[in-house]
Amino acid sequence: MNKSLPSHLLQRSAEAAQARLALRLTASLTEFQALSTRADIDARLRFAREQALATARQARLTTAPAVVSTAGGVAVVAGGPGRTPWWLRLGSLVPLAVLLAGLVLIERHYTRSQIEAAAEIDAAILADDLPPEAYRDRGFVEFLKTARP
Amino acid sequence: MPGGPAPRAVAALATDKELSDFLKSVEKRAFKRTAYTVRNDDAALDIVQDSMIRLAEKYADRPAAELPLVFQRILSNATMDWFRRQKVRNALFVNLSDFEGADDESGDFDLLELLDTSGGRAGTENASESVSRMQILQLIDTQVQELPARQREAFLLRYWEELDVAETASVMGCSEGSVKTHCSRAVHALAKALRAKGVTL
Repeated sequence: MNKSLPSHLLQRSAEAAQARLALRLTASLTEFQALSTRADIDARLRFAREQALATARQARLTTAPAVVSTAGGVAVVAGGPGRTPWWLRLGSLVPLAVLLAGLVLIERHYTRSQIEAAAEIDAAILADDLPPEAYRDRGFVEFLKTARP
Repeated sequence: MPGGPAPRAVAALATDKELSDFLKSVEKRAFKRTAYTVRNDDAALDIVQDSMIRLAEKYADRPAAELPLVFQRILSNATMDWFRRQKVRNALFVNLSDFEGADDESGDFDLLELLDTSGGRAGTENASESVSRMQILQLIDTQVQELPARQREAFLLRYWEELDVAETASVMGCSEGSVKTHCSRAVHALAKALRAKGVTL
């Protein structure tokens, strides 16, 4: 019956038949798949989908996403320095500043007490009845060493 | 303003639900297609998962309508990568028969013979009484599995994923003419094999 048709019509009907058959075959594949589902595969696919959705959510949240994909395909978000507020990061510096200020104060206090102690001795010596030159005298030094209790 | 660019991006990209629905609709076929090619369920699952994550990572900012084609490309590339890693590329490219001596399949054979049934899907009941529906489906599955890789890929992308010829060609990285040839040969080969087993659709 096809013999009488022009060749282009014949070809078109052949293509249509091919498409129809192909769609029935793929419908059969879908049906086969629906009838022979495997729980483990379904579970793995669901897990994969959830992973992908989590990844997409992260990719959208961060403007420059720092996503590291590990061998198992699990996505881990590293750091995310842009996401902590500035005042929190500044806050982490406060203890360090306090420590430094404390060290400087202690150092100053120590130097000043040393200077004061030295000044006190100097003042005592200068204000004494005994002239400072006396301490140069060996006999007097010897006297001080032995005469003290 | 710190949050300036965000609303524009949100407007353009597929929503979580769209992405989820898309993946749900495509994941089983994607797995099956990959399993046909790599012949290993675990590897196929890994490849599909990788592809999903790659899609989510890099293409979550695309409109939902672009997802199918992008996903098929990613999946196709991921499958190729797997073969490269496995160093069994022969499994993909062994099919030189795609290009030679296949003409005899189409000339003498009328596809309508296989389709020639009284009424749509009910016609399947005409097949030999002893062959159950499940056996027929199993047979079709096996025959698809046995197609040459490129033919099977073209056939499944074109008629299962329902991409058009141009899209199939872009996913497979070949010309539209080759896609048509692959599809035609695949359908003829399947029809021939099924007819030989006495199955009509």
